[in-house]
Order: sequence, then structure tokens, then C-alpha cells
Amino acid sequence: MSNKIWQSFGALGKSEGHQANVADEFREELPFEADDKGLMSANAPRRDFLKYLGFSTVAATVAASCEMPVKKAIPFVSKPDNVIPGVANYYATTYVQDGDVVSVVAKVRDGRPIKIEGNDLSPIFQGGTSARAQASVLDMYDTKRLRFPAQIKEGKLVEVSTFDAFDKMIADEMAKLNGAPVVLLTSTITSPSTKQLVGEFLAKFPGSRHVTYDAVSYSGMLLANEAAYGKRAIPSYHFDNAKVIVSLGADFLGTWLSPVEFAKQYSKGRKIDEKNPTLSKHYQFESIMSMTGANADERFTHKPSEAGVVAAALLAAVTGGAVNVADAKLKAGLSKAAADLKAAGGAALVVSGSNDSNVQLIVNAINEAIGANGKTINWAVTSNYRQGVDADFETLLADMSAGKVGALLIAGANPAYTYAKAEAFKKALAAVILTVSFNTRLDETTELCKYVVPDHHYLESWGDAEPKSGYYSFIQPTIAPLFKTRNWQDNLLKWSGNATTEYANYLKAYWMTKLGSQENWDAALRDGVVVPAEATVAAGTFNGAGVAAAVAAAGTPAKAGTWEVVLYEKTAIGSGAQASNPWLQEMPDPVTKATWDNYATISAAAAKELLGIDLTKNGDADRYEVNPKKPVIAIKVNGKEMKLPVIIVPGTQKNTIGIAVGYGRSENVGVAVKGAGQNAYPLATIANGVVTYAAYDATVTATDELYEVAQNQTHNSYEGRMEVVKETSLATFKKHPELFKAQRDMLVHDYASKTGDYRNEGSLYDPRLNDRPGVHWGMSIDLNTCTGCGACVVACNAENNVPVVGKTEVLRGHDMHWIRIDRYFVSDAANPDDVKDVIFMPMMCQHCDNAPCENVCPVAATNHSSEGLNQMTYNRCIGTRYCANNCPYKVRRFNWADYTGADSFADNQVGHVSDVTLEMNDDLYRMVLNPDVTVRSRGVIEKCSFCVQRLQAGKLEAKKQSRPIKDGEVKTACQSACPTNAIEFGDSNDKNSVVRNMRDHSPLRMYYALEQIHVLPNVNYMAKIRNTDEVMEVAAAHKPAEEAAH
Amino acid sequence: MSVIKYESAVRPPLVDGSKTYHQVTEDIIRPIETTPSRLWKIGFAISVGLLLFGVYSVYREVTYGIGQWNLNKTIGWGWDITNFVWWVGIGHAGTLISAILLLFRQGWRTGVNRAAEAMTIFAVMCAGQFPIFHMGRVWMAFFVLPYPNSRGPLWVNFTSPLLWDVFAISTYFTVSLLFWYAGLLPDLATVRDRAKLKWRKRFYGIAAFGWTGSTKHWQRHESLSLVLAGLSTPLVLSVHTIVSFDFATSVIPGWHTTIFPPYFVAGAVFSGFAMVQTLMIITRKVLNLQEYITMEHIEVMNKVIVLTGSIVGVAYLTELFMAWYSQNPYEGYTFWYSRANLFSPYGWSYWGMMACNVLSPQIFWFKKLRRNITVTFFMSIIVNIGMWFERFVIIVTSLYRDYVPSSWSYYYSPTIWEIGFYLGTFGLFFTCYFLFAKWFPVIAVAEIKHILKKNGDSYKQQGDQPELEKKSLEEFEHAMAH
Repeated sequence: MSNKIWQSFGALGKSEGHQANVADEFREELPFEADDKGLMSANAPRRDFLKYLGFSTVAATVAASCEMPVKKAIPFVSKPDNVIPGVANYYATTYVQDGDVVSVVAKVRDGRPIKIEGNDLSPIFQGGTSARAQASVLDMYDTKRLRFPAQIKEGKLVEVSTFDAFDKMIADEMAKLNGAPVVLLTSTITSPSTKQLVGEFLAKFPGSRHVTYDAVSYSGMLLANEAAYGKRAIPSYHFDNAKVIVSLGADFLGTWLSPVEFAKQYSKGRKIDEKNPTLSKHYQFESIMSMTGANADERFTHKPSEAGVVAAALLAAVTGGAVNVADAKLKAGLSKAAADLKAAGGAALVVSGSNDSNVQLIVNAINEAIGANGKTINWAVTSNYRQGVDADFETLLADMSAGKVGALLIAGANPAYTYAKAEAFKKALAAVILTVSFNTRLDETTELCKYVVPDHHYLESWGDAEPKSGYYSFIQPTIAPLFKTRNWQDNLLKWSGNATTEYANYLKAYWMTKLGSQENWDAALRDGVVVPAEATVAAGTFNGAGVAAAVAAAGTPAKAGTWEVVLYEKTAIGSGAQASNPWLQEMPDPVTKATWDNYATISAAAAKELLGIDLTKNGDADRYEVNPKKPVIAIKVNGKEMKLPVIIVPGTQKNTIGIAVGYGRSENVGVAVKGAGQNAYPLATIANGVVTYAAYDATVTATDELYEVAQNQTHNSYEGRMEVVKETSLATFKKHPELFKAQRDMLVHDYASKTGDYRNEGSLYDPRLNDRPGVHWGMSIDLNTCTGCGACVVACNAENNVPVVGKTEVLRGHDMHWIRIDRYFVSDAANPDDVKDVIFMPMMCQHCDNAPCENVCPVAATNHSSEGLNQMTYNRCIGTRYCANNCPYKVRRFNWADYTGADSFADNQVGHVSDVTLEMNDDLYRMVLNPDVTVRSRGVIEKCSFCVQRLQAGKLEAKKQSRPIKDGEVKTACQSACPTNAIEFGDSNDKNSVVRNMRDHSPLRMYYALEQIHVLPNVNYMAKIRNTDEVMEVAAAHKPAEEAAH
Repeated sequence: MSVIKYESAVRPPLVDGSKTYHQVTEDIIRPIETTPSRLWKIGFAISVGLLLFGVYSVYREVTYGIGQWNLNKTIGWGWDITNFVWWVGIGHAGTLISAILLLFRQGWRTGVNRAAEAMTIFAVMCAGQFPIFHMGRVWMAFFVLPYPNSRGPLWVNFTSPLLWDVFAISTYFTVSLLFWYAGLLPDLATVRDRAKLKWRKRFYGIAAFGWTGSTKHWQRHESLSLVLAGLSTPLVLSVHTIVSFDFATSVIPGWHTTIFPPYFVAGAVFSGFAMVQTLMIITRKVLNLQEYITMEHIEVMNKVIVLTGSIVGVAYLTELFMAWYSQNPYEGYTFWYSRANLFSPYGWSYWGMMACNVLSPQIFWFKKLRRNITVTFFMSIIVNIGMWFERFVIIVTSLYRDYVPSSWSYYYSPTIWEIGFYLGTFGLFFTCYFLFAKWFPVIAVAEIKHILKKNGDSYKQQGDQPELEKKSLEEFEHAMAH
């Protein structure tokens, strides 16, 4: 057949010439094919010339016109083992801050630890973390860390070039002591190897001793236990075994001893089974509103000076005596609590936050009387979180002043800041010949020492910890030391003449003898923990001899004035050791929602009397809440005066002022502490060598001054908006189990009467749009177990590179947190101090399937993924903020200024972002950034992504193994940080997932926030039930069924 | 009695003084040909000063971020969008006067339509600055334009009312500009023909597009005017309707309101007429045009103000009623607590709005006050303050306390740069207006001449003369035949 279609006669006739042409269409060499001659010698034909011209012109233009930022990225010359760029390694280690211990896992990306996760293998912490543990990784990258050993001359550091030189200087100084005793002053040491090492060190110096000093002392408890149980120790508590919990001022969920451990245990009793609703019963007796008090079922307040009276009265009540308390409400509360305690048959626990050994002895007697000893209190395993005894430090102080101390070596302790009589300590310190600090910063104590040799951060260290007897947790370095620092244990080794051994080897040798083999040691490091075989709960032998005397001593009210002051620790800042951490400073306090400051918390009643602010009046309440400038009051205690702004916390004992310690630190310790509050430690009372974190006689006067307090949340009530918050009492829930469901059924009745499917029928659009196959991510949050601790907030900051904006920006409502914990007080309308309940509601992007933010964005920068995620495309965002306006949950955050240095405009940060934000842009701080998450530039909106980077990584892993993703395989940062497992996350299309089960099997409590606007959130909540007998009036909600009958 | 009475017994003349065609030209074109007065120079200098301050304010915002303003996580829009809606609203009077009144053959419009149309254009220019510069990344503003691009599959989001705004405002601006310019053509030709200076001849020569005044030109001009009027008429209703959709289609209590479109349009006409009053009262005084912009004009516009102000008032009351009647607690809170409660943090702004927009215009039921220049000027300012408050109330008091009480905001007040941006748009507006008043005829000369015989004072006095009446009748019939 001949060709029908032809282009030339050659093609038509298939001439030879044509066929040759076709076969060799590209005769000429392509000009850029690599050949031996090289590019330079190649002939450049005309077209190539134009290409070169074009390329070089453009290249020259680009190179000349754009100032390209210098990127310091240096590839590995030889790649280290185990480091694959872009793939994270996880190392088990232990967060240790003074006596606080949490077993954790450090996520290390490209050689940098960037995130702390809980260690699931630890039976104590069970994968839970605290805000402080989460934030600790940032401490390592603190720009104010000391970077070398130094001599301190008049507060200035003089670097000592090498450790050898430093050791020699110390050796010379030590030689000059002439046998004067050496004292090692430390905060609580939980490390068994260190304790052995300290023992060996002290043995080398006759007359020397080790003094433990805790910033916030638990001395009274230790002494009371010594008196009652013969052991100067703290037993293990089992809140999980307790059906009735009574806390006398102990903030055991927030700051008391080991809050992560206790929160984990506590949450077991707070989970509710709808079919058979039971809850543990938690009574709190306290003077100020603590986070734990906020979680209590029933809460009673008393004057701080009556702490002993309340304990004694409770003892009397459980032993059948008369309750001798004037306040009728308090009396009734004590009687009720006592009755419940007795009825629990040993499944009850009483704890006290007092540092008075008499009070603690009474508490021991109560626990003995109710049979808690051996049930919820385990003396077979004691805990090591706090070991300092006030009298020891008092003795040391006397010795120092008397010139009886030759050398003082300080590790971790910072009495020049935390001691009530800091001036006395400072004076005494000057009388000591040789003072060496091992602290990591030029803190208040270190700056008065003669030498400093900074310790490693725990993520750079070797070490071990024994939070509870027999339970070990290990510390291994996750990064080479960033600076010229050294494990402080190494100092002791070196200075005691053990010049060749390093602490790392010492530690290994110590554990090799204990564990027996290299395999065991490797396993211990891999797991991070060593756990005793059998954990039994055993009682201690109680000796009640001192109880009568204790009741006599503490059972009468202390002498008190009109106003009393209580010092407390905030959940985030604690004793102040980590106060320089910007994440912790910016984390709002669970109760007051304030950041960056301490302040005087007072009751609504006192505010009315003292300042004329009546919260029951809308006008007053509005003025107070919309204005960040709070009135300042002057508080005088023992001749010391503090002027502090007032934050009204309903539910505070009237005429009692709460002030947080941990603030007002020296600016040398970090940029974040600058201007952050005032030091309240000096208000503590020291009597008979015992520190009381309260003052019973204070003078309080109002001043004309105002002071701005930066709060993330200003309105305290949920205004009865049941679509936002659903809460009730257990008795009400038992009586009306359908209470919450009826509210949801109303929506079905009103908008989906045909199919009963509100989701699909409640919209004008085709229901098939809502048919979403495949993975559908969802989250479920149990309001009953959320304690408000804020670990999730800090975890989210770390995981998602959320910028710290500083106080000035928080004041302007520019905080950037992707997750926040909304806190609502439920109290009597006429008496705000009568707080019935406090609700903590974690709130983040709800990833609505019918998202109001998505349809209003003019450029589709926020859109919906097929997996139910509401996604933010930062590059696409032009910053109209329309989405943020239209978000009913107000979870979208806008980059108001160049917080991250990622902006297109240069030099626009100074003067427009806070000093802290500027400092966080330092290369050192930026090492903490998560490379998987974009750093957002100025002018774009950001918000919770459900940790999409983790979801993607999890999906990729599943895909590599050709299987669907498993439930629980990926966890969001907030979920994994939560110590109470209040947040669950997973595929809601997977019928076996935890999230789906929570939704399907808890229809009585499950709800979506603001469900009535049909935005179809992918986050659901579980209504909060508090364990009280009060049966509340259930609004006669017209029952759908009845109405339908009409 | 004649069959057609061309002069209404109840309508006073629209042009005062015994004007001839030449006098009209002289009166209106003269200011263009003389050096500007001292008053003009002072006014212009202040305007340029404000404009420069605005430019600096915007520079700061663009360089350092929206953080230069006091908006926050709860209140995403504040003064920026308030000002946007306010300026867009002001523009509406111009379009209403030039388009709708043209179609309804309202002769009195000729005295004010040119300036009102100019006002529309300048107001829309000012309005446009806000949605542009309220963007966090204004250098990416072109993302809102739907044109074939190389940025992947993402396109504009047609469901976003903000995108509708882009189309509505740009269409509005284009049509208004064309309409205004088309009307200017014969007058520009007049200026050109009178010009003695070479550059002036050149400038107006080019600007007049070769207008010769031939019948063909006039015929086409008339047709074009009608077509553009026809195009503009729906815009009067649609533009502010679409602006109101920014709020009405949202889920926020206080925004999510179906009454918004008519309510916004009425408000826009209301504020627009007030702004026309402000400008006209100044213009007639400064340029000595009292005989063209007469008391009749002022009175008529005051009537529109009292009408639209009352419509707006009904809308306010309807909102309050619906907030109660719906028993929606969120709307109830916004309307009854955040707004109507004088003692709530922003209660003052709501009552300020009520006082300015609903109560005070009621004085215009009195003819004496309608015809009082001082009162009118004062009221025109009051109304525009009130209308600014209206937008502020809608935007800020809805946002600052919406669904979730935890996010209720601190008190919002603007920074100097936020205010500076607003002042800057005043600078822009008045700079443009001053330039317009200097270089262009502020009254449509050709159109005034159209009505001169029917409604001019001079011809009215001669009304008794039969031959004139006959002549006028012919002319009137001729005019009606168009």
C-alpha cells in the first residue's frame, strides 16, 4: 500500500534519500551533550549564543539584584552512623530538674534534640509529661547558659581557658583551706550513683558534709514521716487506688512532689463509664485556688493560719471526735469528707501541702485511721523527690556565718534567690573561703561565688535517677555538649584526686556491678528505665506517739491579722528554676490564664471591699476584664513590702492573697525573666528553722497604680452556653442520663427530622459531599480527665515551632498558641467566690468538615483535605484574617509581626517584636526548631494542623509496609504529652479506633462544641461530670418525642 | 391654559439668577482658568499633608506588619474594614444621583451630579486601599485576581465574599469612571475651546477626545450616558449588597443577618448624600456657585437623608427585634448586651450610631431646618460620623465577644498608624477633590444648559411672554421626543 498522506515527493515515493533523512533526523550533535572537548572549547552556534546570553543576563540580574541570605548549612564530610538526614532518632533519657524527675524520650533530628516525649516504658510516669519537662529542651539552647568555667570577680566572669587549669586553681584553693570543712550544697539528688560518688568525695575531706536544700521545702513531711514511720522519706502514693481523695492544700496535679505520676493515677478514677457512672471523690481544702483545687469535686476554703486546725478537725472527724471549726460551711465539708473517708474502707487518701511537721503528722494519723496505710500509701516503695530538711540548712547557715565552712560547693541549689532570708545567706556566703557553683547560669547564688564550672544540661549528660526506691531511670547524652561545660559529678571526681575517671565511666561501672552485664546495661539505656520485678503495696509501721502533741501544737489557729498571704508554685514556673524558659513564661497559668508575671490573687469578695470591683455587676466586671491594666495593691509582711497587681480569682478565701514564687529572677539567668514579676520568697516565714510558705499577718492597702498583666483569657464564665461547655453533677447525670443527648437530639429534631442524620440533612448541600471514605482524622477530648496542666500547650509549641511573642504582644492579644486550655468558673451568680466547678477545655482547630474559614478565604489558602484536615497553605495566604473572624472557636492565629525572621522584609524586627522573641531568633535558640514544620512568616494565618507532619510520617511508614495505618500509630504532640490521656486521636472512619469507640459508645456525654452552627467539627468533647450529690434543675427542654406527637 | 404646563407650580427654579448660556459657561469654567484661591491652596496643602501621613502609616504597616495596628486574635478586622465599608457607602450617592436620577429624569441632579460622581470615584479609590492594605502580605495581593498563571492548580476561591468584593468594587470603579468621564467630554471641549495657553489647549484637547459638538457626537453621547446609567443602576444596589455579604454570609452573631443587603444599601445612600452635602456646601461657597447648587438641591438631598436615615433606623430596630424573637442566645448577647446596653464596653458606639443616624436626621421633617445651610452642614458631618459608627459597631462589637467566651477580647482601640491610614484616605480624597475642582468643571455645564430654559430663573420670569412660551413649548416637545 502506498502512503496516502505525504509531505514531499520523497515521502510519497519513499526515496532512499528521504528514508536516510528520516532515520537520521537529528544529524547534528545536540550542543550540550557532554563530550571530551568540554564546554569551553565547543563551538557556540548562534542559538547557543542566545541561550548563553539569556542565561547569563538573567543570572547576573538575579545575583546582583537579590541579596541572598547566608545559609549556614554544611554537609557532613563523613556521615556519622545512625544519623540519616531527615530521619529522627529517639533516645530514652530522664528529665531531672532538682528533685523533679520524669522519664522521657528525646527526639533527635540531625544531631539536635528538638522534642521531649514521655517514656511509655516507665511504670511511674507511663508516658506522661509535664509542661516543664516538655519545655526543658529549650533550656539547653538558652543563650544565657554559662559557656565556660570561670572565676567570678565582682559579678563578672573571667574565663578559665581549660578544665585542667580550672582544676588546678581549685586544687590550690583547696590546699589553702587547712582542713576547714568542705560542704556540698545541692538540691535534692535522686541519682544513686551520684550519691555514692558524693559519699566517696566527702570521705576524702574529713569533717565535710552534704546538705540538701530544696527551693520549696517538704521538710515537715519528711520529719513527720520519720516520727510516725521511722523513715525520713516520702512514701509512694496511689491515687489510682483511692475512691476518696482529700487534699489539704496539696497541689498534687500541678506542682506537689510528682504531679505527672499523680495525674496519671488520678485520671484513672476520673474516667467515667456511662452505663455505670462512678467517679472518685475529690475534696480539696485550701486557701487559694490551686489547679488541683480547680479539679476537685468539692472544695472548701479556710484561712492559711487555720491549716493545722482543719487537719486536726479532719482527724477528729474520722476518729469520732468533735469537729472544732467555726465556719459552718467548712465544718460541714470536713464532716462530709470524713464520713466519705471512713466509708471508703481504706480506698482513700489524705495528702497535705503543708511544710509543718505537726500538720503532716496529723495527716499521717488520719491516713492511719482511715486505713490508707498499705492501700493507697505504700511504704515498701518510697519516693525521693524531696530530701531537704530545713534545720540542716539553718545549721549550715550558722556555720557559714561563724566561718566554720572552708569551701562551699553548690550544685543546683540557689538559696540566694529561693531562701526567705536570702540576705542572711548572702552575708554568710561571703564568709566562706572557697565558693564554687556548678549551676548552669549566672544565677543569684552563682554570681556571689568565686568560681563557677557550669554543669551540662541533662540532654548532654550521662546520669541516672531513682525517683522511687527500686525504680531507676537513666540519662544519656543526646548531643555533644554545646559549650565548655562538665557534669558536676566530674568535678567531685577530679577534685577528690580521681583524676582519670570520668563520671560516664563511673556511672557505667556502678551500673555494671548492679545490672551484671553489658547487655543489661545496653537494655537499660535503650529502655531508659529499670523496673523492680514485683510492685507490692505495703504498710508502714505507724507510731502515733507524737500525734497528740501535734494536734495540740497545730490544732489551734495561729495568730493572724486581717490579711494573710499564701505563697504557691505555678504549674509552669514552679520554684523558678526554669523561669528563664520562654515557653514556660508564655504558657498561661491554668487558673488565672496570666503569662509572664506573678501577681496577687484575691477573692471576688476582697476585690469588692478593697478595690470596689464588684464582679456581680456587669459594668465592673467588663471594665475589669477588658482592661489589662490591673489595680496594684501594696502588701506588707514583717516590714517587707511588695506592690503587686491584682488578679481576681473566684474561690479564694476572703482576705487571703496568693502570690506565686519563681518570679523576679536576676536578669543574668535569661532574657525571658526580664520584667517577669517579683520575687515572693522573702515573704515566707521562717520560725524555729521551719519555712512556712505563708504569712499570717499582712497589711494590704490599695494604691493608685496600675500594672498590665497579660492574660490569654479574660472572661471567666461560659455564660451558660451549653453548646460550648457541657457539665453537670454526677447525681444529675444519674437522674437525667439523657440530659446532654437531649440537647443534641433537638438538632436532629429541628433540622434532620427526615433521616435523623443531622450531619447530612442539616445542610442545603448534597449530603454526598459529606461522604468521606478513607482515613478521616478525628480527636476526642475528655473534659473529665483534663486537669488543665498545660503540658499539651508547651508540647505543641515545641512540635510546631510556635513563636514566643513576649508579654507586650500577649497584652495585645497576639499570642500564637495553637492549642489553648479554656478555663471557666461555674459559680453562684450572687457570690462569685462560691465556685461550684472549674472546667478546663482544651481548644484547638476543630478541623470542621464544613469549615466556615475555608469558604471565606479569597485565595483558597485554607482548604480541606480528603482526610478531614483543615489545612493551612502558608505560601498561599495573603493575610486577610477573614478566616480568623469567621472561626467560631477563635483558634486561628495571625503573624502580626515578623516573629520568626522568616519575612520577605529585612531588619523589621527590632522595636516591633519583644526582646524575648528577638532572642528566640538567635541561632542557638533556633536549634530547637522542628525541621518538619515550616516557620511561618509575617502576615500569614496559622493554626493547629493535627500535627500533619506526624500523620504524613505515619502514613509513609504504613505505606512502606503496604498496610493501612494502625490506630494509635500516630499521636499528635498534645495527645502524647497529656499525663491523663484526656486527648485521643485517630481515624474516625476506623470502627475499631479509640476515637470512634469513644464517639460511638459514649452517646450520653459525647458532644461537638457549637454543633448547632453545622460546621461539623472533627473534634468532639466528653461532657464534664463532677462528683457531687447536688441534683440540678434540668431545664424543661421540650422533649423531641413529645413535641413530634403534637 | 396651555396644554402642557412646562413649569411646575410647586417646583422652584433649579438655577438661580438670570443666567444666559454664556454666563453659565463663564461661571463654571472661570475657576479653571484663574489661579487658585488662597483657600484652595490651604485646603490642598492640608490634604497633601494628610495623604503623606497616610502613606507613612501604610509604609509602616507594610514593612513591620499588621501588628502596627491594635487588632488581635479575636478582632481580626477593626478600623480597616470599617473604613472600607464607610468609603464604599459614601460612593453610592454619586452613582444614585448620576444614574438612577438620570433614568428617573430628575432635573435637579444636573447641579450636583458631576461633583457627586467625582466623589464616588475618589471614595471608591479610598475604599479600595483598605482591603488591599489590610492584607498581611499585600505584595501577594495579586493572588486574588483570576488570571491564567503559573502558580499551580490553585485558583481564587469563588465562594469567598471577599473575592466578590474584588469584582464588585473593580466593576463599580470602572463603570463610575467611564460614566463620569463620558459626561465630562463636552465640558472638556468647552474648556479646550476657551483655552488661550498652548499647554492647556493640548491637555484639554487630548482629554476631550476630539469632541466637536456635532449632532452625531451629541446623539452618541446621550446614548452612551443612558447605557452607562443603565449599567450603573444595578451597581447602586449590588455593590453594597456584596459588601454586606462579607458579613451576612459568615457565621458570627451580629454578622449573620439576612437583613443586611437592603440595610447596607440604604445606609450607603444615606451616608453618600451626607457626604455630597458636605462637599457641595463647601464647593458652592469656595467656587461661588450658589446659583447653580441652590437651596433646592440642598433641600431635596436633605429629604433623601431623612428618608434613608429612617430606613436605616427601621433596620436597626428590626435587628434588635429579631435577636429577641429568634431566642438565639448568641445573637441576643451581641445585640442586647454588646450593643444596646449603653454600659457594656462598646455600648457608647451603638448609642452614638443611634443618635447620629436615626434620631438627629429627624430634624429634617422641618422645612426651615432643611433649608438651613449651617444645620445641613453640621448634620451632614453627624450623619457620616454615625455611619462610621454603624460599621464599627457591626464589625467590632460582633467580633469582640462571639461564640466562645474564653476568647472574648481586651478592649480594642486603634493605634496612631491605624488612625493615620484613615486620615491618609481623607488626604487622598480631598487631594483628588481639590485637583478635580481646580482642573475640571465641577458642574456639568452642558447638562445645566439642558435644563436652563425649563428650570432657569431667568426664563421663568419671562414665562408670561407668549412667544417665549411657544418657543419653550417647542423646545420642550423636542426634548421629550428624545
